[in-house]
Amino acid sequence: MVDNIAKKEYWNSRFAFVMAAIGSAVGLGNVWRFPYVCYENGGGAFLIPYFVALFTAGIPLMILEFSVGHWARSAPPKAFKKIGRKWEWAGWWAVLVPFVIALYYVVVMAWCFSYMIYSLDLRWGSQADVFFKNFLGDTGTPTILGSISIPVVLGLLVIWLFVFLILYKGVHRIGKIVAITVPLPTILLIILTIRGLTLPGAIEGISYYLTPNFSRLTDVNVWLAAYAQVFFSLGVAQGIMMTYASFLKKKSDITNNAFIISLADAGTSFLAGFTVFSVVGYLAASQGVGITELGIGGPTLTFITYPTAISLLPVAASFFGMIFYVALLTFGIDSAFSMVEPMVSGIHGKWRISKAKATGFMCIIGFFISLVFATGGGLHWLDIVDHFIANFGLVMIGLVECLILGWMYTLSKLREHANETSEIQIGRWWDYLIKYVIPFVLFLLLAIAIIDNIINPYLGYPWWVIVLGGVIPCLAIFLLSFVFMKIKKHEEAT
Amino acid sequence: MGLSLSAIAMLIFGSVILYGGLAYFLYRAYKTKEK
Repeated sequence: MVDNIAKKEYWNSRFAFVMAAIGSAVGLGNVWRFPYVCYENGGGAFLIPYFVALFTAGIPLMILEFSVGHWARSAPPKAFKKIGRKWEWAGWWAVLVPFVIALYYVVVMAWCFSYMIYSLDLRWGSQADVFFKNFLGDTGTPTILGSISIPVVLGLLVIWLFVFLILYKGVHRIGKIVAITVPLPTILLIILTIRGLTLPGAIEGISYYLTPNFSRLTDVNVWLAAYAQVFFSLGVAQGIMMTYASFLKKKSDITNNAFIISLADAGTSFLAGFTVFSVVGYLAASQGVGITELGIGGPTLTFITYPTAISLLPVAASFFGMIFYVALLTFGIDSAFSMVEPMVSGIHGKWRISKAKATGFMCIIGFFISLVFATGGGLHWLDIVDHFIANFGLVMIGLVECLILGWMYTLSKLREHANETSEIQIGRWWDYLIKYVIPFVLFLLLAIAIIDNIINPYLGYPWWVIVLGGVIPCLAIFLLSFVFMKIKKHEEAT
Repeated sequence: MGLSLSAIAMLIFGSVILYGGLAYFLYRAYKTKEK
């Protein structure tokens, strides 16, 4: 049941760590969120606040998480305990949130898995919107769950099995997997972009994406959207980067790795904009409608707009449909297992349960909870839980992380630790960003989200739906983090 | 209709910062490895 001595694991190489962290950061959101957010917030002009946010919040936060993980050499719960015994709950909080995200993230991947197969005969036909609703058995409301979609359940089984097989042997296997699953979707995305750019109407689509509207830069919401995009995309405040950095060898570069990983993530988002807008431009030209009339973000883009455009391709439509969903699946799988790994490492670290058993246990629990999102009302519950976890759970963890590490601990020690092993030296400016700038921005994001949700209940859902899908999951995660802190660790229990 | 000059400028701006920056930090990592 219990390992006598937990052997410390290390990455095979620096390449393996960088690839795993890029794989974790780059996910479905790079394809279906960034292009849309960019278009909505000033087009090309959005790049200015986006880069400011990347360099003043994203990269400094990543350096912080790498420093803590590398310094503590353990997953977030134990790492925060090393900062101060009373802060262990913050570490559990940081690993529970990505696990909850994984519960619905794998459902979207299961959709992609089915669509990858459907691409063979373009089964969605000419009415992709109707097909998507039928495929999910969509009841149109979260208040009626309906029946479970069998194709989604089969997809879930496959995805959770993959997550288990990748994680149970530890980081050595992750290192080998990401050597394929990180470059492959990037290559596929480049192929799709080249194809997209050669289609009629593509340049008009790209124009929508890149033509700058500089007047939007005076709008504070555009700047907040940039910070939110950077924050959600990089995978910070989810315990993932801290966990991954804990597997680094003693003399490992921290700062340069943070720059490489952040820029690779942002670069993939920028590239995905061309993939999406070239094809959306083609669809708009083919159907004689405006681009604004088409769904260009979220599941609508992935499962309705893009398949519709694929069906209209004159040559090799199935092939391009297939590589689009393979790209999404391979982008997603690295993010999916990275969201489960911190929880597994936390359990393994505290109770000395073998990694294989901890992984198996979490994957089985994960599979059964995911089934809720495979029902006819699942799409709506997925959307509600995601809205609250992203806007409240993640932002609060980021805020708590900055407050504990910046104000309850001597931050300069972490800076010195990063500088000891890194080629690029960071100065006191980093301390100011962690202590003042990032908490201020996160506080603003949180305050606006709270006020907005009080004034306008999310999508006008009844209060009990909001409580069940938003408030209860967030509160449950928060309370569970204290429960896990209080449960005795292995040495104390025996 | 082609891309406007301002769109081309943003394309170059984004590419230089992102891909130029990535290449620069990869080069630094490579140089450190060589030492």
